[in-house]
Amino acid sequence: MRTLTPTTNFFFFFFPCHYVVDVDAQVTAEEATSSLSQFAELPPTPPPASPPPPPPQLPVPKPCPNGAPSPPRHKPQSRPSFPYYQRGRARGYRGGLYREHMFEDPAVMRIVEGRPNIKSLDSAIVDFGNAMYRENFEDWMVPTYRKNRRDSGSLLQDSAIVCVIDGPRGRGQRLDSPYPFSCFRGRREPRGLYSRRPFCQRGLSQMQAPVPETPAFSRQPLTPRQLYNQTGRFISHSGRPCPSTPQSLPPKVLQLRFGANSPTPSPFYSPSSNPVQHFRFPGPVTQLHPQHKRLLSQKQRISHRKMEDLDPYCNIMTAKEKEWIIRLQMIQLQSENPYLEDYYYQEYYRRIEAKMAEEELGIRGKREPPKLTTPYITKTEAYTPVVHIEGSLGQVAVSTCYSPRRAISAVHGVQAHTSHEVPKDIRQQRLEVLSQIEKLFMTLLEVEESGRKNSSVPSESEGGQLKEKTQWTAEHIYTQMKQHNLGEPGGEFLPFLFVSKGKKLLARLLPFLKRESTLKILHIVTSNLPTLMSRDSEESLPVLYQPLRNVIAALTFSQLIRVLKDLTSSESLSTYECLTLVCQNKFGLSLLYALLSQGEKLLSSGVPLEPSIGDFETWTDTIFQVAGQLSQCSLVEPLNLPSNLLTLFCRYLDKRTVCQLKCNMESATGFLALPS
Amino acid sequence: MSTELPAKEQHKMNYVPGTASLIDDIDKKHLVLLRDGRTLIGYLRSIDQFANLVFHQTVERIHVGKKFGDIPRGIFIVRGENVVLLGEIDVDKPCDTVLQQVSIEEILEEQRLQQQAKQETEKVKMQVLKDRGLSVPKADNLDEY
Repeated sequence: MRTLTPTTNFFFFFFPCHYVVDVDAQVTAEEATSSLSQFAELPPTPPPASPPPPPPQLPVPKPCPNGAPSPPRHKPQSRPSFPYYQRGRARGYRGGLYREHMFEDPAVMRIVEGRPNIKSLDSAIVDFGNAMYRENFEDWMVPTYRKNRRDSGSLLQDSAIVCVIDGPRGRGQRLDSPYPFSCFRGRREPRGLYSRRPFCQRGLSQMQAPVPETPAFSRQPLTPRQLYNQTGRFISHSGRPCPSTPQSLPPKVLQLRFGANSPTPSPFYSPSSNPVQHFRFPGPVTQLHPQHKRLLSQKQRISHRKMEDLDPYCNIMTAKEKEWIIRLQMIQLQSENPYLEDYYYQEYYRRIEAKMAEEELGIRGKREPPKLTTPYITKTEAYTPVVHIEGSLGQVAVSTCYSPRRAISAVHGVQAHTSHEVPKDIRQQRLEVLSQIEKLFMTLLEVEESGRKNSSVPSESEGGQLKEKTQWTAEHIYTQMKQHNLGEPGGEFLPFLFVSKGKKLLARLLPFLKRESTLKILHIVTSNLPTLMSRDSEESLPVLYQPLRNVIAALTFSQLIRVLKDLTSSESLSTYECLTLVCQNKFGLSLLYALLSQGEKLLSSGVPLEPSIGDFETWTDTIFQVAGQLSQCSLVEPLNLPSNLLTLFCRYLDKRTVCQLKCNMESATGFLALPS
Repeated sequence: MSTELPAKEQHKMNYVPGTASLIDDIDKKHLVLLRDGRTLIGYLRSIDQFANLVFHQTVERIHVGKKFGDIPRGIFIVRGENVVLLGEIDVDKPCDTVLQQVSIEEILEEQRLQQQAKQETEKVKMQVLKDRGLSVPKADNLDEY
């Protein structure tokens, strides 16, 4: 345990500030320094200049620029030491904090303080509204001190201190004023009196007075008793100058910071807003983009000045309060999977970024579009309003004002049971399919989400588990869809494929499925291609093209031949008719081209093909048939024209036919079949 | 998307990008329609997380036909759930409207007449339906949702 020197200034802790405290908060040195910097703010031309009083945690006080008798400035060598605080800290935290929590603003959230990392130390991340004086810091900021800060905690959190502070005041007073100078209670003081003056002035003037009166801090560790005496004195002293304010009690809450931990001079402070600092969030997360904050403060400054001329009632709502609300809303906005919960904004932002990335190729140093980054706070357990009693069937019937008597939702269960016995009518079937699609889509979104997580997280042990789960869920969706059968074997998935949303579902699912499953789907699609094409009124088949193309690209020769057979041999139609239909459908033609292209790729790659018996014959037959078809009928423009098709045809056909084919294909697409 | 937005919009975006917030509406003149049908116009001074609104120099505007009347109301606090819609009024924009402002007494009188006429027609309608054996439940008996 590190010890702190006794030369700590105790009067910090009743600096009239408001802090957020967390039970497990470990005040890091960085945070301490940053919180210190918080109080260094002052408008560039302050009225009777007195700097803000130093924050309580820091043992070394901030010197006043105006040269008033300042608290003894401690040399870098001095270290504050609070051994007893360290001992009692664990208890102190709990005790003090629970009491605090009773009176705490309900909107205040528990913040888990993170370890400081590079980002938190980034001086480019500006904290809003802070005017900080770097020079003041460097005078007495001590690197080693920072380390010690980690263990010192706050005086305020020690339950012993809290008790003592309670004592002379009595409970009543405490209840009355838990946060004497809270920024959220900013309205408690009579506005006219305090609103226009930087708060720090008042605080410091109080502080200044008692300081010289105290005996010089000795270097030995103070006993708790001594400390309490000190605090008692300070409290009484600080209470005097401003009778209208509640007796200054030590701020119960630690000020945690995020973002700027090193002070940076901020351009702005609104004279009307309370300089007492607002909440900060821990370590590594920036709440607003740094340029945001700068712009924000600048704009505010300008607007404030303008508005005050025109509208005497403006700024009734202080910047602090506005920020508080913004923060509250931001916290409510935060989510663990934004792609699921805030899809449209994420997509919008992604597109903007993509566009800017394109543009940026020419323009350097372009500013990022502002993004909503919510503060990082561990989410509390979500309240589940649905009452569910174990062992009950479905939901418990709960009366609410909207539904006086809520029926148990058993409709779907009933349907599921009767599905096998009772022949359903077409409309019912279709409705079932539609509702099943919706349900499976939700599962698909989960699969995609975990897939995205997988790609971002490098494969570790839990990555492997996640992968498995993803796989399993994807297969589950697959089996669910397979059950819907139109009666014939080979008719699985068809009900889904007839619905355009079902096609989309399948298209998005394909990347996650196992190979056999994907092959099965390809088989279904190709076997029923004519039907699918005829029933594709919304022309949503092309959505399947890309995933199927990926599947095709992984086919072996035998598998390819089988697929081609499926394509060309349908029960009701002859090959010729099939091919005609295929050629006249965008998707069909593209699929055909993809298959042929894959065949050509396999043949020309030199990899041993391991064909089954009759494969090559089928292959050549198909080629001839297709070639004949392609050269005769008018072709539609395919989604994609593979470049090796003509090579393929050249292999088997004479030059004249190839030329004819080429012309035909090109006329459809408008560009060359072969890259020249 | 160009980052060179008008200053006003940039100001808006700075606070909470990608969201809708009332923060930018503070200290501006607004018109709010409440669930009970009242229209209030005033300067929005303060909000909170529930979108409760504090209006200053509020005026309740009653519209009857082409006439309207303003009743000054002072400071209003509106509970957020009672707001139907809220929109900013551009004070600079020239107001060329066909509506005619009348005195408070006159507009209240007009309103009363309008209500009366409505009730009359409603009564007649109910009677006609009753004669045919039909009944339309009154709006206040219906479940709101």
